[in-house]
Amino acid sequence: MKWKKLGRIFNPVDHILANKCVEFAQSPQTLVFDDFVRIYFSTRETDPKNGKFLSHISFVDMTKDFTKILSISKNTVIKLGELGTFDEHGIFPINIVRDKDKVLAYTCGWSRRVSVSVETSTGYAVSNDNGLTFTKVGHGPVLTSSPNEPFLVGDSFVQIYGNIYHMWYIFGTRWVDTTDEGAARTYKIGHATSVDGINWKKEEGKQIISDVLNADECQALPTVVFHNNKYHMFFCFREATGFRKDKNRGYRIGYAYSDDLVNWVRDDANVGIQFSEEGWDSDMMCYPHVFKCDDKVYLLYNGNEFGRYGFGIAVLEE
Amino acid sequence: MFKWKKRGRIFIPQEIKNISWLKSFAQAPAVLLFDDFVRVYFSCRPDPDENGQYVSYSAYVDLNRKNLFEIINIAKEPIFKLGSRGTFDEFGTYPTSIIRKGNDVMAYYAGWTRCESVPFNVAIGAGISKNNGESFEKIGHGGPILSYSINEPFVLSGPKIRQYNDTYYLFYIAGSKWIANDGKPEPVYKIRMAHSSDGLNWIKADKDLIESKLGEDEAQASPDVFFHNNKYHMFFCYRYGLDFRGKEKGYRIGYASSDDMINWTRDDSKAGIDVSEEGWDSEMISYPHVFELDGKIYMMYLGNQVGKEGFGLAELEGELK
Repeated sequence: MKWKKLGRIFNPVDHILANKCVEFAQSPQTLVFDDFVRIYFSTRETDPKNGKFLSHISFVDMTKDFTKILSISKNTVIKLGELGTFDEHGIFPINIVRDKDKVLAYTCGWSRRVSVSVETSTGYAVSNDNGLTFTKVGHGPVLTSSPNEPFLVGDSFVQIYGNIYHMWYIFGTRWVDTTDEGAARTYKIGHATSVDGINWKKEEGKQIISDVLNADECQALPTVVFHNNKYHMFFCFREATGFRKDKNRGYRIGYAYSDDLVNWVRDDANVGIQFSEEGWDSDMMCYPHVFKCDDKVYLLYNGNEFGRYGFGIAVLEE
Repeated sequence: MFKWKKRGRIFIPQEIKNISWLKSFAQAPAVLLFDDFVRVYFSCRPDPDENGQYVSYSAYVDLNRKNLFEIINIAKEPIFKLGSRGTFDEFGTYPTSIIRKGNDVMAYYAGWTRCESVPFNVAIGAGISKNNGESFEKIGHGGPILSYSINEPFVLSGPKIRQYNDTYYLFYIAGSKWIANDGKPEPVYKIRMAHSSDGLNWIKADKDLIESKLGEDEAQASPDVFFHNNKYHMFFCYRYGLDFRGKEKGYRIGYASSDDMINWTRDDSKAGIDVSEEGWDSEMISYPHVFELDGKIYMMYLGNQVGKEGFGLAELEGELK
């Protein structure tokens, strides 16, 4: 596989964002229209109560060659949850799915904890205005913890194949005590299916992508595309600790393929995209999103500092 | 109206010495019957930590079947360990409900974690015992068996496990909102249910079973279902949404009945038990548990401060129908 990098296409510091957000344009994910592409991302407001971050969803509309910004969302795309709900402190990321005449969103909602920093679950929302705004159905999640997936269910990515909704997502396996970084989380990629997009059947604690680093490898944000008679999955992975500062331990992009959506072969050697020598994606690559647009296959991704300074795009060459 | 004759308090945690994890509270009694004794599970607490925060454990006391006021044994250890870091039951296992499954005993319990914007969240876990309910191994790798969903966003607690006609029924509560209450949030929760063929995979009914009579912010708990005389009887407790830690707005015991467990008719006027004029249950009564023993029907329940000083016993006079 070979990707041609087209460079960074959006840097949040160059724009005024809704919800008092500054910096961060994380986990870009698309909704493709006839004459433009809407790219959703998560950006951050500083919580006036305590200086912590609140993640909000915004979007940018771009031309289909990704060279020009047409507009940026000026209003709230989806509200954060009410007091005590799973998405009270942030939505990051959001996955958008066209389902016949509907536009669906699967969100990763964040709420803060005391003994660990955070808990997440997957939410569900619907748009009736072509993705300008989304309304949640209920106040709770559609996918959350279960006996063998004890915490940190999130990063859901949904595709509809045949009449079945397939969700790839991550679930936490451990909170590891560390001396200098507090409690560090580890998580793996799982798979669930549904006939209606709301009621999901998990494989319940089954890690579908093997580790290449070690048992504490953290795998995040799976994204899947069907192309040339095969299912291709991209994701990012890192070491459980030391990943913020050390580029050798930080996020990079991994790859796996499958013929049947059941068995996945991990094949990072074939990922076809690496850190740049210098610049915005020279120390880290994360939060990939693969999609088709006018018969081409594209890969959106974040660079250094988890997307603090935006996202770039690559196009599949072979 | 049913008529319950109060027999008095049967367990006072403050009278138990030398157990560090059992200093106060004996909440949510639930019985498991043996030939010679009645094992009563309850939830209790060690002294609070330096910040005044409690954890809770579940344990049991064995009472003489012929004389429920005679304690013959107390658990040596809590029946569950607290969960590991970041899990749903890291800070408490309360309350617990018990059922026999073949030669094993199953426990369903609410696990507590601590949150930043609200004080806690709760989800329901399960454990299995191979030694007559003395200790339980938790199901799974640290996660709950019943967790949040679109219409049950938080605080899934108070499980009561039952089995009728080869199907398991789990009655429980689910939070519907947190009242902000000037920075001291309080949860509102309502009685719900789910059913299962194996006791592990659950289908939620996804509806409130019991109408509220104190308004939208009424909190309902301890949905204790008892089948008798061809009818399902539910005793439960309910309170006001705020200022409920005193007599006026604190817990009282309510009653509902049903033919199918889905449609319930609330009629608190039939509950037949209320706070006493004075004494340990003069301010509130809560967490009822009804059971049949040797031809008699009993209710165990909590008194003031939601069981801080133990639980008592009442005996039904007349029929439950």
